[in-house]
Amino acid sequence: MRRFIARNAPGYVFLLPWFIGFFLLALGPILASLYLSFTRYDMVADPRWVGLDNFEYMFTRDRRFWKALEVTFTFVALSVPARLAMALGVAMLLDKGLRTIGLYRAIFYLPSLLGASIAIAILWRQLFTADGVVNQVLAVVGIQGPGWITDPETSLYTLVALAMWQFGSPMLIFLAGLRGIPRDLYEAAEIDGTPRWRRFTRITLPLLAPVIFFNLVLQTIEAFKTFSSAFIISNGTGAPADSLLFYTVYLFNEAFKFFRMGYASALAWVLLVIIAVFTAIAFFTSKYWVHYENDRD
Amino acid sequence: MKMNRRTVLGGIGAAAAASALPFLPAMAADRSIRHFWWGNPERDKRTFAVIDVFQKNHPEIEVSGETIGWGDYWTKMATQTAGRNMADLVQMDYRFLFEYVRRGALKSLDDHIGKGLDLSNFDKGPLSGGMVDGKLYALNIGSNSQVIPYNTRIFEEAGIDADVINWTRDDFAGVCEKITSHSGGAIKGSDDLSLFIENCEAWIRQNGRNFYDEEGNVQATAEDVAGFWQFWTDLREAGVVRGKDKTLILDAPMAESGLITGESAMVLYWSNQLVGLQSLTKDKVGAAMIPHKPGGAFGQFIKPSMFMALTRDAKDVDGAVAYMNDWINEPETTAILGLERGIPANANVRAALAPNFSEVERESVDYFNAIQDKVGALPLPAPKGAGEVRDAYMRIGSDVVLGNMTSQDAAAIFIEDAQSIVDRAR
Repeated sequence: MRRFIARNAPGYVFLLPWFIGFFLLALGPILASLYLSFTRYDMVADPRWVGLDNFEYMFTRDRRFWKALEVTFTFVALSVPARLAMALGVAMLLDKGLRTIGLYRAIFYLPSLLGASIAIAILWRQLFTADGVVNQVLAVVGIQGPGWITDPETSLYTLVALAMWQFGSPMLIFLAGLRGIPRDLYEAAEIDGTPRWRRFTRITLPLLAPVIFFNLVLQTIEAFKTFSSAFIISNGTGAPADSLLFYTVYLFNEAFKFFRMGYASALAWVLLVIIAVFTAIAFFTSKYWVHYENDRD
Repeated sequence: MKMNRRTVLGGIGAAAAASALPFLPAMAADRSIRHFWWGNPERDKRTFAVIDVFQKNHPEIEVSGETIGWGDYWTKMATQTAGRNMADLVQMDYRFLFEYVRRGALKSLDDHIGKGLDLSNFDKGPLSGGMVDGKLYALNIGSNSQVIPYNTRIFEEAGIDADVINWTRDDFAGVCEKITSHSGGAIKGSDDLSLFIENCEAWIRQNGRNFYDEEGNVQATAEDVAGFWQFWTDLREAGVVRGKDKTLILDAPMAESGLITGESAMVLYWSNQLVGLQSLTKDKVGAAMIPHKPGGAFGQFIKPSMFMALTRDAKDVDGAVAYMNDWINEPETTAILGLERGIPANANVRAALAPNFSEVERESVDYFNAIQDKVGALPLPAPKGAGEVRDAYMRIGSDVVLGNMTSQDAAAIFIEDAQSIVDRAR
């Protein structure tokens, strides 16, 4: 017991701020929202118990709920692979033992810090409006661009592009993973005359699989939770024609615009379940494609 | 004296208590009120000036002002309501008044009338707009009506000489066509006003129905809405209104309207907003009515543009009522407010303002006088869920603007959705 404490105490001390925050600030609201998801609550009158009504309405009658799912799933399916590919690509470029690597890492990480901010979402909006910078540049080469964010055909892709640009944190993790691949494997492959592409598919990818898996899970969760950029770019409404009705934007509107706190809480719990299911799928399938170096089998 | 830890601490404590003593009487009398409103730069400037005046006359009461745009106002208000920390005085809108009263968030003003709140010169019509179940809950701080502000310079240059108070839907379409062709397409006749539910509502009323009936059900028909959307689809296809890229930016700020950017000659606003609009452009802004339906009923109405209401969470009620009273009676305050929030309901205030009207204020009053006998009755307050119906209207209307749906199909879906929204909100 004493050894256990001695060995783990520093870890728990470092975790303490998180635990304090979780128990004091997060746990209460989380439990309250579970209760509220079975009520009708308009924030002024007291919550009224309605049983499973919220969930029944959601699955059987709420067209916008399904639309929000469609938008969000499309976004996840497009943005997660795009961001991971971007992150891996840049990480491999940076994994060349440059002396100024620290500087480049910082520069490439910058968009991820900025990307979550409101300012960037507003900037993005400016870039992609009908007479924004993007179309002005296209006009120079004689292309009449659409109103990227006001056209439901293209609006979601501007957000995928924004998500792709925020590749910083998976990139750093990839970079660390790449550093962990023994150099001698590459040297041996090079001596054997293995082409570059095969070195990538046969050495880099398999050995990086645990890291890819880790990034995939994390980024999928992130993508499901995308909110601020979609909220800003669609003026908080999911417009045009609900093409940017991200699940979280819909949830926010139900809660803070239409004052249906009970229904919004139900939506939040459904999102939690969806994310849990996807994470579980990733974990269960991982044994077929993720191999850890110290695996026995 | 021997110093130790305890005496030092005690000494510091005593010193602190002693130094605080002279302030105690002041702290006991510390009174503060919070005023929360939705605004625009012009309105915020005037309101903070009013707060300064009140502060000068009532140094014992501290007033703090909070302002935010319309879009976020109701979100913040709902959050504060739920958190039981509403501002003492809030700006209220006709469509939300009943909802907030029914939820018990506002205090009745009845007990203060004649005692702190002087309504002796207040018009009866505007006063009744703030009553719920026979009790006064909200004080009218201005009346307004719908208006189509237009660019007089562009009208003149295109040689347009229309009677913009009595004009018809066809006249309107003709003017749009003329402005567009005169400018070679560079300036469109109007912004695309098909996504403004207020505009559609006027159209429905011209057809002889209200949007909602007395029970709060949707009275408008799919044919009404389809006709309206088709009218605008025709204009859009003729290329005489501003492009869909701009139309689909919903609830865009004033400065982005075609009237201000110079891309079009007409927009749609509430008449008190003429003052704010004029401050954003050098061209003189004129005021037109929503075009009429020949032989139809009147679509527009005069409504309370804004209210001030006392909330359940108000602590210094007397201070808040004194502040409120100044808004409708105190000459220096009412002079600063002018017509920016709408036409004041106090006859004395109107008379005092008249000699010093700016050009746009004169224009607003002339417009207000001109439409008096060309408006219908004030519709009943919208039912719960009306805000969401407005969102659904813009969302489904967007599909018409984009050409994804015909006016008929979209209108049928919208009317069905609108009814189910109000049903669900009950």
